[in-house]
Amino acid sequence: MTRVIDTESLTRAFGERLAVDHLDLHVDSGDIFGLLGPNGAGKTTTIRMLTTLLTPTSGTARVCGFDVSGQPGEVRRRIGYVMQSVPWQVNRLLKAREIVEIEAALHHVPRHTRRDLVDEALDLVGLLAHADRTIGEFSGGMHKRLDLACGLLHQPELLVLDEPTLGLDVQSRHRVWDYVVGLRDKGVTVLLATNYLDEADRLCNRLTIVDKGSSVVTGSPTELKRAVAADVVQVATAAPHRLQAAIAGEPWVKNTVLTESNELHIYVEDASVALPAVMRLSLAHDLRLERVAYTQPSLDDVFLLHTGRELRDLEVGA
Amino acid sequence: MADQTLIRKQTTVEPATKPERTSWEEWRGEVTALTRRWFLQLVRERLNLLLSITQPAIWLLFFGSALGRAIDRDAIGTSNYVGFMLAGVIAFTVVTNTVTGAMPLLWDKETGYLDKLLSMPIARSSLIVSRFLFQFALGTAQVLLVFLVAVATAVDVASGPVGAIVILAAAGLLSMALTALSTALAYRVPSHGTFFAIMGFVTLPLVFLSNAFVPLDSMPPWMAIVARLNPLTYAIEAMRILVLDGWDGSVVRALAVLGLFAVASLAVGAYEFRRHTGERVR
Repeated sequence: MTRVIDTESLTRAFGERLAVDHLDLHVDSGDIFGLLGPNGAGKTTTIRMLTTLLTPTSGTARVCGFDVSGQPGEVRRRIGYVMQSVPWQVNRLLKAREIVEIEAALHHVPRHTRRDLVDEALDLVGLLAHADRTIGEFSGGMHKRLDLACGLLHQPELLVLDEPTLGLDVQSRHRVWDYVVGLRDKGVTVLLATNYLDEADRLCNRLTIVDKGSSVVTGSPTELKRAVAADVVQVATAAPHRLQAAIAGEPWVKNTVLTESNELHIYVEDASVALPAVMRLSLAHDLRLERVAYTQPSLDDVFLLHTGRELRDLEVGA
Repeated sequence: MADQTLIRKQTTVEPATKPERTSWEEWRGEVTALTRRWFLQLVRERLNLLLSITQPAIWLLFFGSALGRAIDRDAIGTSNYVGFMLAGVIAFTVVTNTVTGAMPLLWDKETGYLDKLLSMPIARSSLIVSRFLFQFALGTAQVLLVFLVAVATAVDVASGPVGAIVILAAAGLLSMALTALSTALAYRVPSHGTFFAIMGFVTLPLVFLSNAFVPLDSMPPWMAIVARLNPLTYAIEAMRILVLDGWDGSVVRALAVLGLFAVASLAVGAYEFRRHTGERVR
């Protein structure tokens, strides 16, 4: 297995603020690797360093075996980069095909294969039928698909996708997901930055949760969720602190976290044991329960457990 | 924008090994693709295309016929006012192009499209060279048209066809120099507001404090001194002598000054671009 991305203590400061703080990333060939975190966690700054657009303040980053500061040209030849939002306005008078052709030429795709590759790329994202329309007429989802088509033209060793479904409608999101799944099947290595839990869960085979510029935890989605617990019991009550105190120390409790929305999350190995116990203890302490539910842990629980905050709330807040 | 300011401040890390060079074929391909982008945008905007190319010719006709009668022929030293004006209108056109020519680079920078381009394996120089080629082609089309109009309205180029080619070359040189400076400014400024403020402040004085419309001899002495320091004056002088008087030693002198100015401007442009992209232009 070859390392496609390898960073050591990668750090980037903007003035006093550390946007990325001693980040270690290891992405193997064939991975769909997720960078999951809230807005401002340092995902885009990390990507800008890995795509040679920003020099690290300290630490090192090697992409496809080349140092991003020492041999940026070699890195650029091997990566495809789909920005969070490609400013299509600057090219709004160009036709979709022309844009892809120009990108292909800029990636040094040989002239004799260019035509076929351009058609193939447009076809892959379902834009072949719209190839001769100027992109000023395109919807947001179509612009994104055009960007994705451009990312793969030169068959990069690593494709970097920065928030590929941000601001897209459900249908367009699913198209992008299908596209990434297609890449996985082809064995393309992908670095996917996202703040959508379901997206990371569905697409990535490994991910790292980043918060405030640092990696909080790394693993496969299943591993990460398993490490939290087998089940999560969620309890809404007027006095969550009292319930938290009441169940503390019980053998079936792995962990408890009080969310920002004042819901108590109880991480347990078996909900069928935990639920009756929660009821019993609530009655004994005269606590009125408003809602009790149990689910399997999500990546949100992973984030919550490691940072004490909910990614979902942060999304809404942002 | 915050990011971009910071890119400039950071020290460039010394490459561990010599960075690989773009091959000549690759570079040619990049320049072709980027130039194509500029031309496609222009041809899709028909009105822009039409007005850009015809504007200088219309200026010449307007000045030639409307102002020609109000001008003291002794002051301009010729009875052919359109012939006198030709060099001034060409220079004025080049100055106008310079402002509009750097704008797309400004948009690329501000919207972040430049970042996308910079993440691709292209030589930094192809970004600039493509814009220069585009500006040069557009400028040549304008100057050719204004020339045709001038010849059609009774201007005889005293230096003949070779002189006409030299006039074109002088216009190209001036265009290259000013485009380099406006490009440098576009990469330097924090946002387009500053760019347009500076351009608005500079362009008209640049034209009027030169011999574009008034000969140096007719100016108040202080103005003539300022105009002598203005590189535009030398470009106009060379072109004007070639139109009205033919070959003359002072043409060579003026062209030499213009050439020096162009070299200095290109150096400034390359420096600013390198600073902005954080890497040597290669």
